[in-house]
Amino acid sequence: MTDRPEGAARTVVASLELERRVAGVLIGATYLSVALIGFGVVLMIAGGISPLDQALAFDPGRLIADVLAGRPEGVLWLGLVAVIVTPSLRVAASLVGYLAEGERPMVLVSVGILGVIAASVLLAIGLGG
Amino acid sequence: MAVGLLLIAGGTAAGVFGSLLGLGGGILIVPLLTLGFGLPLREAVGVSLVSVIATSGASAGVYLERHVANLRLGMTLELFTALGALVGALVAFLIPDRALAALFAGLLVYVAVSMIRSGLRRGAPDEGLAADAPVPEPASDDPPGTLERLSGPGYRVRNLGPAVGGSLFAGVVSALLGVGGGIIKVPVMHLVMGVPLRVATATSNLMIGVTASASAIIYLLRGEIDPLVAGPTVLGVFVGATVGSRSAHRVDVRVLRLLFVVVVLYTAWQMIGRALR
Repeated sequence: MTDRPEGAARTVVASLELERRVAGVLIGATYLSVALIGFGVVLMIAGGISPLDQALAFDPGRLIADVLAGRPEGVLWLGLVAVIVTPSLRVAASLVGYLAEGERPMVLVSVGILGVIAASVLLAIGLGG
Repeated sequence: MAVGLLLIAGGTAAGVFGSLLGLGGGILIVPLLTLGFGLPLREAVGVSLVSVIATSGASAGVYLERHVANLRLGMTLELFTALGALVGALVAFLIPDRALAALFAGLLVYVAVSMIRSGLRRGAPDEGLAADAPVPEPASDDPPGTLERLSGPGYRVRNLGPAVGGSLFAGVVSALLGVGGGIIKVPVMHLVMGVPLRVATATSNLMIGVTASASAIIYLLRGEIDPLVAGPTVLGVFVGATVGSRSAHRVDVRVLRLLFVVVVLYTAWQMIGRALR
């Protein structure tokens, strides 16, 4: 607990700073993901690949090899996964900030959100994803 | 290659249209992919979810940077939208395509009617609530500590319980139909919780990412996202939404709104046809 008003002012400044940092993570990761997708689309068009063609299935074990080999689908998969992971990165960045501020309720909320996302992954795999 | 370019163009149009009217692109992407490109409904929903994550990411970041979005409130509610989305994505694999098409048609009609009503309200001499005005505050039974923590400068939130229910429902709708769910979250925050409209819109935008990613993961791992379709579409929608948000002040939104209502009602008609087939 902090003493008012200095403590309250410190908390507000820390919150504003946290929002700025979280915004930076969100914007940076979004642009990076979309840039990857854009690069994948360029490779796809340059390679004469049509959306009507049969695409390689998503295989996390082969992802890096496909990207390094310059396969359009590999780059596209990486970009799409990066887009889907970006909100979790934002939550993780918030979690770190709330831990540093000692804001227990928001730490629990952040852990809860990451837990739901982890449950999505496990359920999808468990259901034969 | 022509199909890839058409997907980029279609995505761009959906992104421009959506952002000019303050909607996510999702409401237009699913019909575009199913009716325009013949994609199965579930695959279109998967692609749409990835598109709405990408478009909301950049704008939500800007809202946060400018301290318009309420991070604590958004994260607290998105715990429940994500739970709803998890349930919705699992349900989506259990119900037939025709039922999904019927649900989507219902959503389109609801959006069209909301657009018409909000257009009529704007035309009226006494326009209800100003964008920044908090809703008057009735009594609430919520513990003050929690509400204090979730409130922002100039407003105090209330009715957390009903908002949690609304958030769960928004998550289910988002996962089933591939939309951001702002059409539910914004009224819940503004009218039920007393959050100023501008803050509610920005916070809803922030919540889209986590909500959609909880269900997009399930669509991805169950093989319902085709990278060759999703890539061009996401790119187009992202570019379109960026262009749309920068040119919003130069466009006569009344004409656009009318055109949108016609397109949405026509699309609803097509979706009903698909549901009855």
